[in-house]
Amino acid sequence: MLLKDTISAALEGLKRSRMRSMLTTLGIVIGVGSVVLMVSIGASFERFIVDQVESFSGDTFEIHAKGVQDIGKDVLSITFGDLEAIRGLTTVKNIAPAIFLTDRAKYGREEIAPMILGTTKEIFYNWSMKIDEGRLLSDEDDKGAKSVVVLGSQAAEDLFQNENPLGKRITIGARKFTVVGILETMGSPLTAELDSMVYVPFLVAKAIKGRTTYIDYIALQSINGDNELTRQDIVSLLRQRHNIDNPEDDIDKDDFYARSMEQAMEIIETVTMSITLFLGLIASISLLVGGVGIMNIMLVSVTERTKEIGLRKAVGARRRDILIQFLLEAIVLTLIGGIVGVIGAISFGYLISLIASKFLGDLTYALSVQAIILPLVTAVAIGLIFGIYPARKAAALQPIEAMGYE
Amino acid sequence: MPENDAPLIETKNLQKSYFNEELETPVLFNIDLTIKKNEFVAIMGPSGSGKSTLMHILGFLDHHTGGEYLFQGQLAHEMDEDTLSRIRATRVSFVFQAFNLLPRASVEQNVMLPLIYHPTIPESERAERVAKAIETVGLTHRKNNLSNQLSGGEKQRTAIARALVTEPDIIFADEPTGNLDSVSGIQVMSALQELNEAGHTIILVTHEKSTAEHAERIIELFDGRITKDTTEFKTRKAKEEDSLQK
Ligand SMILES: Nc1ncnc2c1ncn2[C@@H]1O[C@H](COP(=O)(O)OP(=O)(O)OP(=O)(O)O)[C@@H](O)[C@H]1O
Ligand SMILES: [Mg+2]
Repeated sequence: MLLKDTISAALEGLKRSRMRSMLTTLGIVIGVGSVVLMVSIGASFERFIVDQVESFSGDTFEIHAKGVQDIGKDVLSITFGDLEAIRGLTTVKNIAPAIFLTDRAKYGREEIAPMILGTTKEIFYNWSMKIDEGRLLSDEDDKGAKSVVVLGSQAAEDLFQNENPLGKRITIGARKFTVVGILETMGSPLTAELDSMVYVPFLVAKAIKGRTTYIDYIALQSINGDNELTRQDIVSLLRQRHNIDNPEDDIDKDDFYARSMEQAMEIIETVTMSITLFLGLIASISLLVGGVGIMNIMLVSVTERTKEIGLRKAVGARRRDILIQFLLEAIVLTLIGGIVGVIGAISFGYLISLIASKFLGDLTYALSVQAIILPLVTAVAIGLIFGIYPARKAAALQPIEAMGYE
Repeated sequence: MPENDAPLIETKNLQKSYFNEELETPVLFNIDLTIKKNEFVAIMGPSGSGKSTLMHILGFLDHHTGGEYLFQGQLAHEMDEDTLSRIRATRVSFVFQAFNLLPRASVEQNVMLPLIYHPTIPESERAERVAKAIETVGLTHRKNNLSNQLSGGEKQRTAIARALVTEPDIIFADEPTGNLDSVSGIQVMSALQELNEAGHTIILVTHEKSTAEHAERIIELFDGRITKDTTEFKTRKAKEEDSLQK
């Protein structure tokens, strides 16, 4: 039998059972498509988050007492002494101490409850924030404990709406502050909090809070990008100063956190990765369901195909002629289904990412090769196995047995 | 397979049982039969007597369960799969009682089917052979019709054309005129007769005495046994002649 004949027998077979062919293809399209779609949405989301975090410099460190996130009550462990000691380290730069205020901010009738940060100009470098109008906080502001304020873009908008805030005076707690600068929008859901913040000189906040011992937060950067070295420096310094015996470097024993954005990012990445995995799992279930569908359609048509196989054998087809024909049929079906599924999923996923980026800001569509190959291979394998297995069984029968199959 | 002096078909104590879940249904018993090249044999017998079963075994579509079947001296049950396929492709063909056409395929495609599995007929001869076979059964005007759009008689004739197309040594026909009116029936029978005159062996099953009369030999089956074989007598006579000559 010529290969050409086998191919045309396969194609004719597909044409003759058009409904079956279409249903099988559809099963594969859905199976493959849903996996690719889900995984690519997960991956794009992951990429989006990572991009957001990466807008911070990876070698920015944050040091704070454990539990500082709890609003309303101060958890304190970092002292002015610690700050001075850290200044003495050779592996750090851009040290920005901070004290948080929880006062309300008012302008005219507008009133907001922002996070108010008493800090120095270095914080803006560490957090990659840029000035939009006016100026950043300066060393003179700090030394002179001047009543000046820099507003995050959202805070400025909330207080001033369309008015130009520069030079205006706002009330924070019992004091009046002059607005000297407005920051650029960070512009993403993840950093929205920074946009709503209000920044005053460190010494002003210290005075308002009456702090003499503790500070809330330090941001700094490693000097040569060697984050691990910097971390070890800081951690061993603070452990020594806080009398914490922790040679096994067990973070749970510390009364402070000191970690770089890079490390924080790793944590976030594990989270987003598990989201991707979860979506992938759901998608795999749909692949399984699709696979069962493919299997059913393949098996349901067995009766008719068994008769055909019997007839072909009766007129001289060898077992391998039959198997190659059915193999080709199954390959054509599953590949067409798989490719349509992949293309469909990518277009649909891309469309979703376009729509999502309208709401979330920059969102690039991400998709890994494995996310395409794996479902494709699975669906094709299912199609092949259940396309060929019954054919194999039928081809092993006596021709008359196969033809009489009911 | 080499040509030799052995008869085309020879069975010795051939038996067939069907097995359905341990249950044995014996259908053929002690079939001793010799069919030589170019014979025209009719098999007759009541419904259920095992005519189709015997044909299927002789036509390599089913295997027997006892005794021996020798095809040109070669034991059928010792043949491997490829040999069986080759015999089905080149030496024998079958007109089934139930047509067994490819559904949703044209008359031409159905008649073409054995040719694509034929190991020696070149591709270039296919179209001509198909056209000729279709003409022989008088279906040229229907050649592009799908098989499910044909009448019973037309299906029967398509099946016959399919059996003719490779010009095999033996054509088995299971009630080939069963679904035909008398005119088409005569057409089919004369086609088979012509094939027989051209050197092909024809073995057919029929209920009709008139159809059987085209054959030069009639074998009667009853309950899975041969009850009458008109050439047994002839063979005996031939033997007597042989011994007389010595
Ligand atoms: N697959 C099978 N399993 C069990 N018994 C079978 C099977 N096929 C046929 N038989 C039985 O074998 C016997 C002979 O059947 P067969 O088809 O050979 O008869 P037949 O002489 O061709 O009859 P008809 O003239 O009606 O076509 C019948 O009793 C039938 O029931
Ligand atoms: Mg019968």
